Order: sequence, then structure tokens, then C-alpha cells
Amino acid sequence: MASVTVSFEDLWKRFGRRAVLTGVSGTLRPGRVLVVTGPNGAGKSTLLSIVSGLLRPSRGTVRYRNGETELPRRAWCGVIGVAAPDMAVYEELSAIENLRLFTRLRGLRATDDQLAELLDRLGLAAREQRRPVGVYSSGMKQRVKLAQALVHDPPVLLLDEPSSNLDGAGHEVVAALVRERRPATAIAVATNDPREAAWGDEEIHLAG
Amino acid sequence: MTRLSNILVWILGAWLAVVCWAAFHYAPTAQGFVGESARIVFFHVPQAWVAVVAFCVNLVASIRYLRTRNPLDDARAAAAAGLGLLFSILATATGSIFAKVMWGSFWNWDPREVSIAILLLVYAAYFALRQSVADEERRGTLAAAYAVLAFVTMPFLVFVVPRIYWSLHPDTIINTSGTIKMESRMLQVLLGSVAGFTGLFAWLYSLNVRLARIALRRRQREEG
Amino acid sequence: MLGEALAVLAKELRSELRSRVALNAILLFALTTLVAVAYQIGPYRIHEEDRPHLLAALLWIILFFAATSGLSRVFVKEEDAHTAKTLRLAARPGAVFAGKFAFNLLLLAVLEVLIVPLFCVLLGYSVAGPLGLAVLLAAGSVALAAVATMVAAIIARASGSGTLFAVLTVPLALPLLVMLIQGTRAAAGSAEVAAVLPALRGIVSLAGVTLVSSAFLFPVVWHD
Repeated sequence: MASVTVSFEDLWKRFGRRAVLTGVSGTLRPGRVLVVTGPNGAGKSTLLSIVSGLLRPSRGTVRYRNGETELPRRAWCGVIGVAAPDMAVYEELSAIENLRLFTRLRGLRATDDQLAELLDRLGLAAREQRRPVGVYSSGMKQRVKLAQALVHDPPVLLLDEPSSNLDGAGHEVVAALVRERRPATAIAVATNDPREAAWGDEEIHLAG
Repeated sequence: MTRLSNILVWILGAWLAVVCWAAFHYAPTAQGFVGESARIVFFHVPQAWVAVVAFCVNLVASIRYLRTRNPLDDARAAAAAGLGLLFSILATATGSIFAKVMWGSFWNWDPREVSIAILLLVYAAYFALRQSVADEERRGTLAAAYAVLAFVTMPFLVFVVPRIYWSLHPDTIINTSGTIKMESRMLQVLLGSVAGFTGLFAWLYSLNVRLARIALRRRQREEG
Repeated sequence: MLGEALAVLAKELRSELRSRVALNAILLFALTTLVAVAYQIGPYRIHEEDRPHLLAALLWIILFFAATSGLSRVFVKEEDAHTAKTLRLAARPGAVFAGKFAFNLLLLAVLEVLIVPLFCVLLGYSVAGPLGLAVLLAAGSVALAAVATMVAAIIARASGSGTLFAVLTVPLALPLLVMLIQGTRAAAGSAEVAAVLPALRGIVSLAGVTLVSSAFLFPVVWHD
């Protein structure tokens, strides 16, 4: 896949009478990390949800372009990887089984060794990878969530508080991951954490 | 309200008044029924007809909403469903009264009786669903999806099941042999009543939609 | 698409075999109801002439309400466990619906394989046409699974409550239930498969219509 850019213009989102987003615009492109900051309830997660296609905006547009071609909405999920606090993985399945499921759902083939290697790079020990996710600590679960966002090598990465629940080592792993993916991937990070905010080349601050 | 629609409403009122009078004084007594009980047909049948018409209007508005996500289409669907619920309650009630007079019990599990009662259940379920969703757009989408699903299953109840079962219902006026089996004055009153009740539905529906339009416009102004 | 649907089905089966929540709910409900009914009624308490329709109706009451106690889980648990969004982004809507429909169908099959023979034994229900009954059960399961899966998708995005699931499913499933009961009576009374044909035609059409409309409605309900 050639590089995918995402542009969003004048995004508004209302929940009932409450306006959470009031005219937000921006662009995601490979080689740049867009950081979305703001206090709790400012709409950071809402913005990422709209950009990912999970939510419709009350007003405004989101466009995905692969080179010169605009991608229709139903094709967006094929090019994005999303990790967010309200997006869990299946707790009855092991980490490997989860990743196997998500690769199959996307029509991809990956061996268990490849999946194990990804989990290993994210800091999930080999002996844990075949245990049900339900017995994991919150930090381990976060690593599996990140893995499911990355397993299909998406050209667009949307990370909502990616190092939440992670220790210092875990934070470093995510930082390295962002650095590594940056040249070929359009990345957006929604965060309250100043360490994560420091990854950004551009910032959107939501006042809330 | 325009002058023309004002006039039409007055005409509707007069029409319905005439229908009520004609139901008792113009139409002759039907044969084969207990006393004057058959006269309920001039009210019962139009109510059932309107309940079905409302269902169709709800379907069209629901499909439009699924395509446009225009809140006014959702309001139209809800308005039609509300009136459909009202008229299916009335149809069930008048049908039960007739059943009590004719056969001694309010409910006989006759397939047509059951059909209109199930339509009532569909409307009630539709509103239960609407009540349980806080987000407006999602409420409209889910309600519209349910309305479409209900519409595609209803023909089975209305058309298939009665053919499998023997029915207590008086022979339908328009039946499979294509002949009309009703005395002409009775037919006139019945058709007049159907037209009147349809007009009543149209008027109540248009009032509801106007109210919804005003409320939407006011909200849009407040939100800027 | 088939591979993706099978992946969803495999996931559902794996999860269910590890937790057994839906299976337990459905089977325990059915067994409890069956035992309660069998204890009170047994093979001798119903008059011979009433047995065909009463027993057919009882069988489907037990199966239907057992099914409604567990078939909604397939979508409700995704919302409860916060895996719905993850699945929404990973899989196409058609694959999600097909996989979950197939899972519900398997659940129903397990329910029927266990409960129907037990019902026949405990209540002395002799079925002259077991082949006809099997065909009826298969077709009825497809139709019921289709209705239940679509309604489950709707209520999972509403409040997800079991009550709402029952409220929405009952009006849609009633035509199906009526046809199934009639068909079961016919199968019990005759060894010929042709005896169940009138009901079977209606059931197969209902299943087809529901599946086709779900193909259009599900993506709209599943995605915002």
C-alpha cells in the first residue's frame, strides 16, 4: 500500500446538547506524529473515534487518501490500527489466539512464530503468550491491545493513551515502536502524558 | 397553517360527522349478525386499515432515515408509529367488543384478531427500543432497522397464517374470488369511513411532523 | 468472506466452550421448564384429542423461551466486554453476522437435539413423521436464529437487556412460532414429509426474507 494520508476538516460532535468537538481540523501523514492533547473530557478519544470511522461526526468530513485515490469509508478499517482504552481483546482467548483471530479476520496469514515475535517485541514474555488474556495484568493486556493494532502493519496508527498501565520499560517499548513506524506510517496519539506528547511533530490541543 | 389546510380540516371534521351518522342511520342492518353489532365494521375496519397504513408510512420514513440520517425522517417514523399504536389499540378494542357481542368472549384467538394484536406488540416494542437508547442518531438507526425487520415479517402473519388456519372472522369484503360481498349502502359508508379515518391519520401525522420540525429548528438555532 | 466468517464462528465456539455461559443458560432453562411441565402433565393428563396441538405448542414454548434466554449473548457480550469496537475495525460486517448467525444456529441445534427427544419421552409424545419433524426443526432453527441474531445486534447497541431482547423478538417470532406449531402437529400426526409442506414453505420463506433483510440492515446497525 502506498502512503495513506488522513485529513479531517471542521469536525463537530454533539452528544445530545453537549458539544464535545467544535470545529477541529488536521491531517495525518507518514513521517509525522500528530499529538492530541487536552484535559479529561475534552474530546481526544472522540476525535480518534471519528477519524477511525467508529463514530460519525455531527458535522465535518474525514478523508482517507491512498496516493491520489480517495478510500471509501468501508475500506478505512483495512488501513488503520487502533489501540484505545475502550477497545479490549478477547479475555477467554490467549494473546496468540487473539492475534491469530485478528489476522484471519483481515484475510492475512501469519504464523504463530511471527505473532509470538511481535508480542515479544512488545514485552510480553513467551510463557504468558498462550495463557488466557483474562489472567493478565493491566499492563500485559495493554501490550496485547497494541499488538492487535500493529499485527496487520497498518499505514495509519491511532493510539489513545498507548502507554497507560505500562511501566517505564513498557513506555520505552511504545516510544521505540512509534519511532520505528514513523517514516512509513501516519500516526496520531491522544494523550495526557507529557512524555507521549513529546513524540509529536504537530499538536492539536482540545480545550474541552 | 395555510387557509387551504384549515378548510380541509373542517371538511374532514364534517366528513367524519357524516360517516358517524350514516353508520347508524343510512346503512341497513346486516344479516347474520347479532342485533346491530355489524355496524362496528364501519369503525373497526378503517382503524385496522389505518394501523397498517401507519406501518407503511413508518417503513418509508425509516428507510429514508437509514439513507439520509435526517432527524426529521426519524421524527416522521416515530409520528407514524405513535399513530399506528393508537389505531391498532382502537382496532383491537372494537374487534374485541364485536367478538363479545357475537361470540360471547372478548378474545377468541382468531388469526386476524391475533394479527392486529401482534401489530400492536410490534409498535410497543418499537417504542420500548426507542426509550432504551439515549443517543439520538443511534436511536433513529436502531428503531428504523427494527421497523424494517418487522415490516418484512408481518406479511407472514397477515397473509400466510390465516390461510393455514380456519378463521372466525366474517368473510372478508374483498375475497379471493374477487367479488364484493357487501350491500351497496353499507359499502358506501365503509369506504367513506376508510377515507375519513385515513384523512384523520394524515392530519394527525402532519401535526406531529410540524411540531417535530419546529422543535428541530429551534434546537439548531440554539446550537448555532 | 467465508474465511472471515469461519474465523468469527471459531472464535465464538472457542469462547463458548471455555465459558459455557450461553449453553448453560439455554439448556438449564429448557430442562427446568421441561421437568416442571412433565411433572405436572406427564404422559397421561392430557386428553387424547387435545394432545396433538397442546404438546406441539408446549414443545415450542419451551424451545423458544430457552432460546431467547441465550441467543442475545452473541452480541451483548461484545459490548459488555468492550470487544465490539475491536471487532468492528477488524472484520467486515457480513462476516461478523454470518459467523454469529452460524453460532446461534449451532446453539439451537444442540438445544433441540437434547430437548426434543427428552420431551417426547417425558410427555409420551409420539411423532409419526420424525423425518418431517427433523426438517421442520432445521428450517425453524434457521429462521429463529436469523431473527434472534438480528435483534441481538440491535439490542446490544441499545441497553442490551434481556427483557428488551424478549420484547423485540416475540412479535417478530410469533408468525414463525405459529407455523412451527402447526407443522409439528402435522409431523406428529402423519408419517409423510408432505404433511409439513404448507408450514415448511412459510418457514423457509420467512428465513429467506429475514436473512436477506439482515444482510442490508446489519451493517447499518453494527456501524455508527
